[in-house]
Amino acid sequence: MNKHPSNQAVCQTDPSFIEEIRKIPGGDKILDCIQCGVCAGSCHARFAMDYSPMQILKMAHLGLKQEVLSSSTIWICASCYTCASRCPRSLNIPAIMSGFKHMAMKNNVKAPIELKPKFHKAFTEIVGKYGRMHEPALQLKLTKKTSPRQLLHNASLGVRMLRKGKLNLKPSKLASTTRFSRVVEKTLKEET
Amino acid sequence: MKKPKIGVYNCHCGGNISDTVEVAKVKKDISKCPGVEVCETYEYMCSKPGQDMIERDIKERKLNGVVVASCSPRMHLDTFRGAGKRAGLNPYLLDMANIREQCSWVHDNKQLATNKATDLIRGLTERVQHLEPLEARNMPVNKDVAVIGGGIAGILASIELADKGYKVYLVERDPSIGGHMAQLSKTFPTLDCSACILTPKMVYVSQHPNIEIIDMAEPVAVSGSPGNYEVDLRIRPRYVDKEKCTACGECAKVCPVKKVNNHEEGLTQEKCIHLPFKQAVPAAYVIDKEHCLWFDKGVCRVCEKFCKGKAVAFDQKEEKRQLKVGAIITCTGYQQLDAELSKELLNGWNALSQYGFGLHPDVVTNLQFERLMLQGMHKPSNGKPPKKVAFVLCVGSRMDHGIQYCCKIGCMNAIKQSLLLLKAFPEAEPWVFYTDIRAHGKGYEEFYSKARDHNVKFIRGRVAEVVPDGDHLIVRAEDTILGRHIEETFDLVVLSPALLPNTGTSELSKMLRVDLGEDGFFLERHHKLRPVDSKMEGVYLAGCALGPKDIRETTIETMATASKVATFLGRGEVSVSPEKAYITPEKCNGCGVCFTHCPAKAIESTSKGVVINSISCTGCGVCVPKCPAEAIDLTQSSDAQLLAQVKGTIEGPGESPRILAFLEKTTAYGSADLAGQTRVPYSSNVRIISVPSTGRVGSKHVLQAFASGADGVILIEGDDSQFREDGIRDHVNSIKKELGKFGIESLRVISTTTTLPQYDKVVNLFQTFDERITKMGRVAPEKRHKIAQTLAGGK
Repeated sequence: MNKHPSNQAVCQTDPSFIEEIRKIPGGDKILDCIQCGVCAGSCHARFAMDYSPMQILKMAHLGLKQEVLSSSTIWICASCYTCASRCPRSLNIPAIMSGFKHMAMKNNVKAPIELKPKFHKAFTEIVGKYGRMHEPALQLKLTKKTSPRQLLHNASLGVRMLRKGKLNLKPSKLASTTRFSRVVEKTLKEET
Repeated sequence: MKKPKIGVYNCHCGGNISDTVEVAKVKKDISKCPGVEVCETYEYMCSKPGQDMIERDIKERKLNGVVVASCSPRMHLDTFRGAGKRAGLNPYLLDMANIREQCSWVHDNKQLATNKATDLIRGLTERVQHLEPLEARNMPVNKDVAVIGGGIAGILASIELADKGYKVYLVERDPSIGGHMAQLSKTFPTLDCSACILTPKMVYVSQHPNIEIIDMAEPVAVSGSPGNYEVDLRIRPRYVDKEKCTACGECAKVCPVKKVNNHEEGLTQEKCIHLPFKQAVPAAYVIDKEHCLWFDKGVCRVCEKFCKGKAVAFDQKEEKRQLKVGAIITCTGYQQLDAELSKELLNGWNALSQYGFGLHPDVVTNLQFERLMLQGMHKPSNGKPPKKVAFVLCVGSRMDHGIQYCCKIGCMNAIKQSLLLLKAFPEAEPWVFYTDIRAHGKGYEEFYSKARDHNVKFIRGRVAEVVPDGDHLIVRAEDTILGRHIEETFDLVVLSPALLPNTGTSELSKMLRVDLGEDGFFLERHHKLRPVDSKMEGVYLAGCALGPKDIRETTIETMATASKVATFLGRGEVSVSPEKAYITPEKCNGCGVCFTHCPAKAIESTSKGVVINSISCTGCGVCVPKCPAEAIDLTQSSDAQLLAQVKGTIEGPGESPRILAFLEKTTAYGSADLAGQTRVPYSSNVRIISVPSTGRVGSKHVLQAFASGADGVILIEGDDSQFREDGIRDHVNSIKKELGKFGIESLRVISTTTTLPQYDKVVNLFQTFDERITKMGRVAPEKRHKIAQTLAGGK
């Protein structure tokens, strides 16, 4: 059986999916899409995606919830906003993609790239803790969440960054992280 | 005042009414009403025997007022007025009570329906006693026509009317007529040469005894009324005498200044003294004042020395001229989106530079491509023939804001240009990047098919970006059908920019007192049935002034417009409805409050005092309650008539709450009729009175309603009304304030707007408001008494 998505019939559509999407930031305008393809043509990460952003929007219209949430596209989107700035219908596609990421995590949909949700979690934890990014801590957390191989994977990059003084072993913190932590806490609470 | 002798005719409508309304009881009650001479019921009042009955009674009983209680006046008012007229009764002395659509069809309870029908009829009998005989007036019209804009629409409209014998002034802003069509190479889908079909028409216009071309002229003010307009023109100097110039071209040979050639869309240069284009009409040279050395530095005038015919005239001055015409046709056309307009309309985004326009000479607009084709196809950068050409459609069109509409010509034009390119260079490779191909005209789909047969590549995907790469251009897009990214190199990129209303459209709309639509183009009177009429009688529209369209569609529209103008002028006079506002000069103190409120701008201050132009006045009555001196009144909806009707409708016996609904007579009233036709029930507590506009209802009338027994008042305006939303809000607030003085809660008044099909909205409002009023209970009799006393004191 040919498993390429374009050979699969559209079935198991979920009519309530569109209502769910309308609740996510930027999702209220999703039916405005005219399927022109500017987003797909503009996307710098398109080559790595299984579906183009335009196709994801169309699949969302049709209610292909499982396929949308298990696609690699929603995780590969780098939120560069090129698509959003060019969309003739002013759709905030990166925001919608973020919404899909949340939805996928909430619904425990297995991401095609296992690292991605873990990365997002680790990222949030670190930013929540320090108020800023700290790459060595991120690397450690990610390694803990995945496998020691992850450490090796980025080792040479780490060394190079260290040499150029781009990596601080000591985390830089916000002067006061308490208020910021509250923001993060509240957001995470609302998410769950 | 004459003693009222009113005949009331109650229709059964074959059971439609009589199954719910007990007509015998109605007849009994109404017969007792003051002023009623006779009350009859009949199976079908609209049938011949029914009408005969009315005619007979008018003649024999000398009736001076008639009420027909039957269906909606929208259905049969003209029928019954016709019967009245035949019997010698002034048609404006007859009115109708709507006891079918607004009573028997929407209520089930026989007793309540019968009471309501009686109330409605009583209200009308009171009203009819105050009606005055009116005559529709006729005004002679000026039979000349001003056509504004000399593109293909203006040219065809002028010819059509001039051939019918009308005198036409064709006003053109540029030095030559012809418009955008003069710039085109060939036209789709027939591929006939644009100039070959246009220029003979231009020549015909110039030689027609009934047409005067006024070039380099723009209207600066329009005054007057339908059938008799005055159009003030500003005529810019050409600095060349049109009559003397032979277009020999000696002047241009010696002129030292070069400037951008507008006709060639900026692709080439021309001399400062130039012929707009070879086939220009009038065929005379023109000096571009901005670039001329004489106007800039006070030197040169070489052209003058070399002109053998002594046609160069540096002493020409700007002129003013007034045209007196009966009708005006607006054919002002379109302009293409450019960088400036794009930034203005699309939140600072330059739709053209995203596609490399302005960054690389080989990115051109489709209009520039037309010129390249006529110059001999070449790349602007190096003059070499292009091989691979990308056509980028929907540049700045179909946005969610700014420019929401489709340019309508981009698809077919790109297909045409692809085929023309292939004809010139069979080895060329045209690619058309489209969002949706729209090939909806006669022969268009076949034309599209032909392009596919010729191996034009159609890529379904809006282009993401065009990036200059040395001599070439890289086009990035998604082929949305394959779901694959495309990154191809091209020699030439042709953009299809959005079409916009021409510069000056909004200024002209203000002069003409005509509305623009949300898209910025002129708004037609009715999208389906009056597509070339403007809001103003005597002002007509044609071509791209109304919205983007192709030449064929423009031609069809122009013919329609010319026909409408001929009908309008051909009657020789305009019939002016007598339902108008008028001023009692003795009461008017000239304060001018009415000027600001009149939506038709029909009120003017003259040497004879404040005057309402009875032709421009639409009879909406918004001015009447606004007048602090009570100097304005409305024929056919006067204060006396309305107060009498309010009183009569509301003061019948019964314990249930009374709600009086004032509905604007066309849209809102029609919407309530539609509810009846669809048999959507609502509370019989609601009684409807038709008014020219809710702005006509003053606090006086609402107070009268409460004094006479009303417990709530509804005001519904038509969505398309001239009485705009903020005006309605202010108006209703002032009414509520007045009511507050007597302790009447503001919740007892509600207002809204509706479109004709939104009868659900109207019925919902009736229902929820009825529930509210029932909950609030009836108004205390003391309050009513206090209002009644104040109203009586006021008189």
